[in-house]
Amino acid sequence: MEPIVELVDVMKKFDGKPVLKGVTFSVMPGEIIGYIGPNGAGKSTTVKIILGMLKKDAGTIRLFNQPLNAGDVAYKARIGYVPENAELYETLTAKEYLLFVGELYGMEEKEIIGKASQMMDALGIKESFHGRLSTFSKGMRQKVLIISSLIHNPDILFWDEPLSGLDANSVQVVKELLVKLKKEGKTIFYSSHVMDTVEKLSDRILILHDGYVIADGPFSELKKEAEGTLEQLFNTLTGFDQHEALADQFLSGMKGDFTHDA
Amino acid sequence: MMREVFGMDERAKEPVYLKIIDKLAPVYQTFGIDYRQMRTILKMKMTMDGRKEAAVQGMSSKAKQNEEKNQFFSSLWVYAIISVFFLLLFVYDNWIFQYTTYFSYIFVMLFSTMLANFSNILLDVKDSELIGTKPVSQKTIGAAKATHVAIYLVSFTFAIGLAVMLATFYFNGILAGLILILLTFLASLWSLGLTIVMYATVLKHFDGERLKNIIAYSQIGLSVFMVMGYYLISQIFEVIDPETFLVEMNLSLGHALLFPMWFVAPFGLVQEGFQTVYLVYTLLLILGTLAIAVLYHFNNDKIDSNLQKMNKGKTQPSNRSVLEKVAAKTLSFDSLERAYFHFAWQLTKNEREFKTRLYPSIASAMVFPVVMFFSSLRGDQPITAQNTLTFLYLPYFTMLTIPMIAVATQFSVNYKGRWQFELSPVHAKGPFFRAVTKVMLIKILLPMYSVISGLIIILTGLTYIIQLVNGFLLMSIILYFEMKRSSQELPFSRKYAASEANQGCMSSLIFFVPVFIISFIMILVQAFVPYAVWGVFIGLMALNIWWMKKGFNN
Repeated sequence: MEPIVELVDVMKKFDGKPVLKGVTFSVMPGEIIGYIGPNGAGKSTTVKIILGMLKKDAGTIRLFNQPLNAGDVAYKARIGYVPENAELYETLTAKEYLLFVGELYGMEEKEIIGKASQMMDALGIKESFHGRLSTFSKGMRQKVLIISSLIHNPDILFWDEPLSGLDANSVQVVKELLVKLKKEGKTIFYSSHVMDTVEKLSDRILILHDGYVIADGPFSELKKEAEGTLEQLFNTLTGFDQHEALADQFLSGMKGDFTHDA
Repeated sequence: MMREVFGMDERAKEPVYLKIIDKLAPVYQTFGIDYRQMRTILKMKMTMDGRKEAAVQGMSSKAKQNEEKNQFFSSLWVYAIISVFFLLLFVYDNWIFQYTTYFSYIFVMLFSTMLANFSNILLDVKDSELIGTKPVSQKTIGAAKATHVAIYLVSFTFAIGLAVMLATFYFNGILAGLILILLTFLASLWSLGLTIVMYATVLKHFDGERLKNIIAYSQIGLSVFMVMGYYLISQIFEVIDPETFLVEMNLSLGHALLFPMWFVAPFGLVQEGFQTVYLVYTLLLILGTLAIAVLYHFNNDKIDSNLQKMNKGKTQPSNRSVLEKVAAKTLSFDSLERAYFHFAWQLTKNEREFKTRLYPSIASAMVFPVVMFFSSLRGDQPITAQNTLTFLYLPYFTMLTIPMIAVATQFSVNYKGRWQFELSPVHAKGPFFRAVTKVMLIKILLPMYSVISGLIIILTGLTYIIQLVNGFLLMSIILYFEMKRSSQELPFSRKYAASEANQGCMSSLIFFVPVFIISFIMILVQAFVPYAVWGVFIGLMALNIWWMKKGFNN
């Protein structure tokens, strides 16, 4: 079987500072990939490059067995994306926004309305179908984004912090949804800082650190590198062991015992 | 077949601009644009423009939410009324003079409106995340943005040119009228095309934080260029005899760079027949239009494909400057006001949208007096008491930016002012408004006023220092009243929408007349009443201390 996504030595700099120094990985159809890394490691940048929002400086990308070229857009019809920031067109209603997105995917109005209504009902926000997005809470917006990423029944999902802002019940629904989507043969590539979820749901975990993928494999295999949970493994691999010292530093600063200059 | 999404079910109820654009569908498709997708995006954008956004969840009532009225279109009549002043041009029976003045005005208005009010549409990063991730080409997104701006820009241009167009049909005949309509339309497309090409080029070649600065500089540069051009064009004409309205024109091929003149040349050909200079200029107009069309074609997708760069890069350190610290200490009378002062200072320093709205108009307001100053110095004219008096009041031009400042301080990305206010321990609007007004006075107006005053001090020494100080004190009071008049909810608490683009111009109109009268009276009193300078100084100081301590407390 051929990989559905393949990145080889992808590099990206911002203002001369390298963020991705040579990212290489591949994703097989039907896999759930947990893509994790410290803040600013370049997780969102990787996804934005795959989605054509940013240009890579070097390296090659293949999607659906085809090289990704500048200006390609047709492949996006097979992708569902949930961005990191739950930004939406605030003055539209949920119905209008989902209709808008569906139309861009070339869907018919009747189909969009039917699907959107049922999906909103399942996520507990059906009453807000005609409500303006500006009045939605963060969790409600996140649900609208999740629906908009699935409304066209894509083959791959790129979800950036999909559980952000969701209440406990909705988290359960979305987790269950991920498992069922996998059974449907969908490929899921998601970034998250919630290690527990990543550990339990992912078939494979990719850890991005200092511009490279430093670990790639199922959690059961990665565990051989370090004992304990994914969180502990993550700390070991990224060389972070100062959490206690930093918490102390924070507390003393809060109490007024600071050593930093203004 | 078009499907209906945004409320209106029948095609008959669709806005006129959509019906017109539908007729152009084959043209869009020829250039590789997915017309159906573009129309969907455009319709969504226009629907959003017609709605007011609630700054904080639950703030706006249902009734208010359902209001769908695009303020921009409903206030175009104001521009149509202003355009009546241009009927005075028709007392001169010289087409070249009439249309040179007309197109110079049109281009200055177009570019300043384009840069200050519509740049945010072209540089909107949200679209690339919400639309760019769908199967929509950059070309289609670019075309939707350009068409979105064009709808406003063309409507605006026709409103400001309405009286001249009607008068042209009446006085100069049907052919001239038709040419004018065509060229007015072309002028709005020129300003849009040139702006897009400029942004695309800058976005392509620069990165990160430098890119944001270059965008701001290019906007300022273009504003300065337009005002300088306006001034140079005014040098082409000389009124020979004011009694008979005789105007002499010194148009030559040397003026070829002043592209608004190219728009005038076809009228010369119609009225005066063949002349080389008109023919050359008309050819330049055709070639220029083709060049812009070609440049646009190759660049219209470059803006969106490079827009994500705007979100990246190093952020500048937000250290407080000495001026900020000193001004906050001396002008703020309590800790709450001081906190708002620093908030407003840092926000206006860092928010690109704020700078985009305000900086081009600052540049324009600065160029006029500086150009007038240097052009007055030319020649062998000695500095007399009379022309010193003229110099002395050049810094008053700074006041022209006050309405724009008052409007710009209402808006902020993510309603930062509203959040800051809600998070404050004391909910008092007075200190917030006072702090913002003081920041605008010290951070924006003081440097502008000082630069122009500095030129005058170099020329005349410190003789007129009190007059200059009085000018600044007057400006401070006018700023206070304008901020108070235009203040609505809270500073920096509204999200910018394209439909509110013409707010600054409308308030400028309301503002200009009383300010002119007050300034003129003050100038006369200071010039002709002995020791009035000191009386004015004391009076203005008292008023300033009053507003700085008690202003906005209601």
